[in-house]
Amino acid sequence: MADGPHKFLPLFITEAGETLQQLGAELVKLEQEPEGVPVWDAIFRRLHSLKGSAATVGLKSIVEIAHEAEALVGRLKASGARPERTQIDLLLQASDVLTAQVAQVAEDLAKANRAEQTGNSALLARLADASKAVVVPEAPPTPAPVSAPPQVDPSLPRLDVFFSLSKTCQAPGARALIVQRKLKAVGTLLEMEPSPQQLMQKKGGVRVSALLATDHPIEDVRAAFNGIPEIESVEVQVAPVATGPSLPEGPTPPPGQLRPVTETSVSEDLRPEATIRVRAQALDQLLDQAAEVLHGIARLREAARKLPEAAAPAFEAEVDRLRRTARDLHGRVMNARLTPFSALSERLPRAIRDLAHRLGKEVELEVQGAEVELDRTLIDALGDPLTHLVRNAIDHGVESSAVRSAAGKPRRGKLLLTARRERDKVLVDVVDDGAGFDAGRLRDRAVGMGAISAEKAAELTDQQAFDLAFLPGLSTRPEATEVSGRGVGLDAVKSAIEALGGKLSLRSTPGKGTQFTLELPLSVSMANLLLVQVGGELYGLPMTRVVVTTEYDLSARGGEGFEARSLAVMGQLVRAYSLSKLFGLPSLAPPGPRPFAVLEVDGITFALSVDRLVGQEEAVLKPLFPPLDRIKGLAGTTVLGNGRPLLVLDPRGVHDLAETGTRVKGAA
Amino acid sequence: MPQRRVLIVDDALFMRNTLRDIFTSAGFAVAGEADDGVQAVNLFRELKPDLVTMDIVMPYKSGIDATREIVQLDPAAVVIMCSALGQESLVMEAIEAGATDFIVKPFRGEDVLAVVKKVLGE
Repeated sequence: MADGPHKFLPLFITEAGETLQQLGAELVKLEQEPEGVPVWDAIFRRLHSLKGSAATVGLKSIVEIAHEAEALVGRLKASGARPERTQIDLLLQASDVLTAQVAQVAEDLAKANRAEQTGNSALLARLADASKAVVVPEAPPTPAPVSAPPQVDPSLPRLDVFFSLSKTCQAPGARALIVQRKLKAVGTLLEMEPSPQQLMQKKGGVRVSALLATDHPIEDVRAAFNGIPEIESVEVQVAPVATGPSLPEGPTPPPGQLRPVTETSVSEDLRPEATIRVRAQALDQLLDQAAEVLHGIARLREAARKLPEAAAPAFEAEVDRLRRTARDLHGRVMNARLTPFSALSERLPRAIRDLAHRLGKEVELEVQGAEVELDRTLIDALGDPLTHLVRNAIDHGVESSAVRSAAGKPRRGKLLLTARRERDKVLVDVVDDGAGFDAGRLRDRAVGMGAISAEKAAELTDQQAFDLAFLPGLSTRPEATEVSGRGVGLDAVKSAIEALGGKLSLRSTPGKGTQFTLELPLSVSMANLLLVQVGGELYGLPMTRVVVTTEYDLSARGGEGFEARSLAVMGQLVRAYSLSKLFGLPSLAPPGPRPFAVLEVDGITFALSVDRLVGQEEAVLKPLFPPLDRIKGLAGTTVLGNGRPLLVLDPRGVHDLAETGTRVKGAA
Repeated sequence: MPQRRVLIVDDALFMRNTLRDIFTSAGFAVAGEADDGVQAVNLFRELKPDLVTMDIVMPYKSGIDATREIVQLDPAAVVIMCSALGQESLVMEAIEAGATDFIVKPFRGEDVLAVVKKVLGE
């Protein structure tokens, strides 16, 4: 790689990261279901493809490790024996080192290029030794391919098809796709080189070759090109020998049995192939901008009311049309941000395995609904709470194998993670078949820490007692454990879920297990808020409307308690209002300079005095519920990361209030 | 040969006029014009044209969705996508949806007619 980094190195890094994550998950799965040949195949394929890509971008160290690991996997698979724990450990270690090296590549390309990564030789030797130590039966049965490809009658004649795309062809990929469709109509397409996807965004003038299995005469195949523009010099001839296309991996197929080209197939189920990678941030920006366009259109509609009657209807019709398109756009961008639940669940098996091994427990994870799609913001925000619940289940829920056996349960504990959609909600369950919560102990603890009275505790049903587990600082464990500590912070998990606009509930049956249910909104809208304090209460102001914050000493200009005055902000005079006056709250700020938030709404700039500027926070905005929805000046509510509820102000409404001199009573 | 009838679908009046000129000067009859995908499907059902030129990015219903519906109505429908340079992935999506062929904007009259005649087997 003397001539600089490979053009597609960033893509390699992303893809290798994903491959290795899947590899880790599959290794764990393999340990649990050693009979699963498909898993062996998948693991083999991952390592093989990683090796190939790494070789292409010139990362020798990764190639070497992937190669030795692949060899070990190949022999383990062929041996048909159940893999030993140490072998899986070694492969997981290889996966870890590969992951670290890919990360290293991302961080510092030059460093990763050095073939002699320290420590490699020892790992390589161990992988090679482990590989040699595996006994492979004399004639291992050839395992069936993972998914048997549609078979092509070996007796069918093979035709070589060559054609050129004209130099003026402006969309060679699309052109080749049309050829592909026509060829598929007269036979089974086994190969096409380059493929339509490879030809995308290329120039015309390319020569393409294809291999077709068909019993149609050569003339028919040639005639298939008749209605296609921009095609030159078509040649169709009988293929000399029916040699199969070289398979990228796996066993060599019997002679004459070929695999049809599927990479560029147009059927619906292969749609995932037609995806491109987009930076998540780019989608977020797109969403913000789509929302801005909607706001702009709303302002246009307002402005249109002042138009003369002759012009208004045509203008309004256009604005309506624009609004529908913009809404559609907004919806599509929201959809594009959806991410499958598997993005979360795939990270868990490895963590569960390691934790269970450390605690000397056996736990098996089952995931249902991995394909259910959630807003990306939710996926990002759910990682920690979900990991917390899973760790909790393994540490406190699932019993040791000995205890389970004694109770007549299967030795291996089970953890079930399900995601499903119900109307506009996504429900995620974390279910374990462990010991369950102890209602009596929860009551005792809650009384002990003074959260409720003994009488009250006695009145609680068991189900109500379970909810005590969400009280801050409550734990029924006499001692803190290394893994999840004491108290476990179920209250923190609950706050995190509620901050996302969701709910967390818990059901438990003693001796049978526990089920946590996360009820989440399908999509969330995050708002960046400026937190301000007035009269001892916190309020949020949308950052999108905050121009600047400043300080001003009012005592110098005639004291406190003003209703409205003017301030000089950035060279212009703006009206200033007191938020505490508007909301009828006492001002707790000491005399002297006071903070102001300067806001802009519809081209009007104004300043609001507050007691204190607290900070900024990203939060999920929730609509107002009655009777709050009737109060002017409020935009919504939210729950902060620390679980504290917050009212979010609507700057436009606040300005209207100030202008009309109305005062809100009892808003706080 | 009977006069061929074309349905022109594009949300830009400029493009519709340009295509209308190209087709009428070459002896085609313009059976109708639509400025969005919904109208395109309705007019196709009503007019049964020999040929449709279809813009891709349009309000209400994209040219790709409209093409899919038209091909469902009549698998032999001839739909030619009119795409801008750089929309190749959309064109490929349209082909998967059943579009017969495509032309790339900006185009000259003879380019359009060459593709149309080739596709209609003339």
